[in-house]
Amino acid sequence: MLSLDFLAGFTIFLLALIMVVSMVPGLLAGLQSSGIDYDAVAYRTGVILVEDPGWPVNPPWEQYGRDHKDEIQRMGLAVSKDTPNILLSTKVERFFENASTEDPFFTEDDYHNKVIFGDYPYSYNISLSSGNDLWQTGDPLPPGYGYIRRVVKIKEPSVAEINESISSAYTIDPSAPEWQNSTARNFTVRLDFGHLLDPTVSPAYRIDPRIEPVNVTITNFDAYLNNTYDSATLKSVTFQKAEPDSPPVPLRWLSYSEEEPDLYTLHLDEDSHSLTPNEPVNSSISLVLKPAFMTFMGPNSILDIRFNFEEEEDEPPHTNIAGTFPYNYDNVNSPPLKTGVLEVAIW
Amino acid sequence: MVSDAGQLYTMEGVAAGIIMLLTAYIVVSTTSIYTTGDTHIPDMQLEQLGSDVLAMMDTPNSVGGKNQLVEFVNENSGNDFKETFLKYCNARTSGDDDNLHMSANVTYRDVSHGNEIKEHQFVKPPNDGSWTGRESAVRVTRWVQLDYQNPPSRDPYGSRAQAVLVEVLLWRA
Repeated sequence: MLSLDFLAGFTIFLLALIMVVSMVPGLLAGLQSSGIDYDAVAYRTGVILVEDPGWPVNPPWEQYGRDHKDEIQRMGLAVSKDTPNILLSTKVERFFENASTEDPFFTEDDYHNKVIFGDYPYSYNISLSSGNDLWQTGDPLPPGYGYIRRVVKIKEPSVAEINESISSAYTIDPSAPEWQNSTARNFTVRLDFGHLLDPTVSPAYRIDPRIEPVNVTITNFDAYLNNTYDSATLKSVTFQKAEPDSPPVPLRWLSYSEEEPDLYTLHLDEDSHSLTPNEPVNSSISLVLKPAFMTFMGPNSILDIRFNFEEEEDEPPHTNIAGTFPYNYDNVNSPPLKTGVLEVAIW
Repeated sequence: MVSDAGQLYTMEGVAAGIIMLLTAYIVVSTTSIYTTGDTHIPDMQLEQLGSDVLAMMDTPNSVGGKNQLVEFVNENSGNDFKETFLKYCNARTSGDDDNLHMSANVTYRDVSHGNEIKEHQFVKPPNDGSWTGRESAVRVTRWVQLDYQNPPSRDPYGSRAQAVLVEVLLWRA
């Protein structure tokens, strides 16, 4: 039979044991520093953003619209996997698109599933600044958070500016015998993909119309006008695709009469038009072809962009612009890479 | 009636309880929560930042453009190197700039003096009294390829084409 004293002693022992056991989880919790985890997640997110071009690559993830964004696996901002820290501006724009508005392109879940990863619903703040530009997404920073800062350069798309200084090369003499009976003027911009995608040019400086917009801007258009007129009519802009071993074929799949901002934008004297404007122009023409336009272009394709100027019947041409402008590394302005800072905070 | 053995049981229970509580208290209060894993995090962040900055200084902004890192080493312009390096390092997207400090050495082979490996102090540590020599600094390096340069030779590397090692010590004040 147990004595009362033994019972009292054993009870005290058990109470103390229970207290010690209850202290053990607290002891382990102290060792499990959550800050370590947050820093690691921030580091991983920074690496994905800065060193990875994302997935899918062809067509690149930034070309997926709202309806197809679920197909995006991973959002990286790098130009290519061979050029860490060099970010592509089109990826940056898409990543932060409308991020601070009520209707952002990517939701919180998208950022969790495609760039931060992990089962835990981390809060985040991702920001990128370059010069006076600032892109940001996420919540305001709390007092303690995991953090990484990366220094990057941002690659911006090239622009072919056809200005007054080269007007003589693309101006014909209308009194010359071969032009006297001509009622239209065609000015062509030629993109030779075999030349543009030259593998010896680093992806950091490469002009790749499949991932960056092509911008053709004719400024000082009045320099090309026939002296007696103050404007010329741009009837249409058409496209021809050629392969090295096959003759050129017109691209007819495009709806020429409707404006399609996802594929192209055309501005005549600052006003937006479709590809068949049939409108007078006197100062500038700006055509931007988006990467989605180039989906069917191969590595050796040649794309001709033809600006067709034609007046009403019996009216002689109002402009003397003609010829073929090669869109290549010699003629196109490639903006210098811009230095920037990317910060990732996770908590 | 209470026997002596019974009192012993009670005292043993009390003693065992006190010993256990004391042990648990000592364990909890003396265990360092700052594990070795933690100490590497700020170092890793600084190392990553430093190597990013060196890589970006080593990347021209356009095809055939100037390479800042090669240019600074070639011209031995440590002050310009320091200014550019810290400008990139301390930049933040918003709020105040960071407060990082640096010094730098360049290691090269001196052919004219017995083929010795020498170290040239490229950027000196700050002399405003803030440098104690006990800073928790991280080290980032990058090889820089210098082309042949017509005489007069550049100081101190000589005119021959060579690869030199730029080594930056980076710390938070």
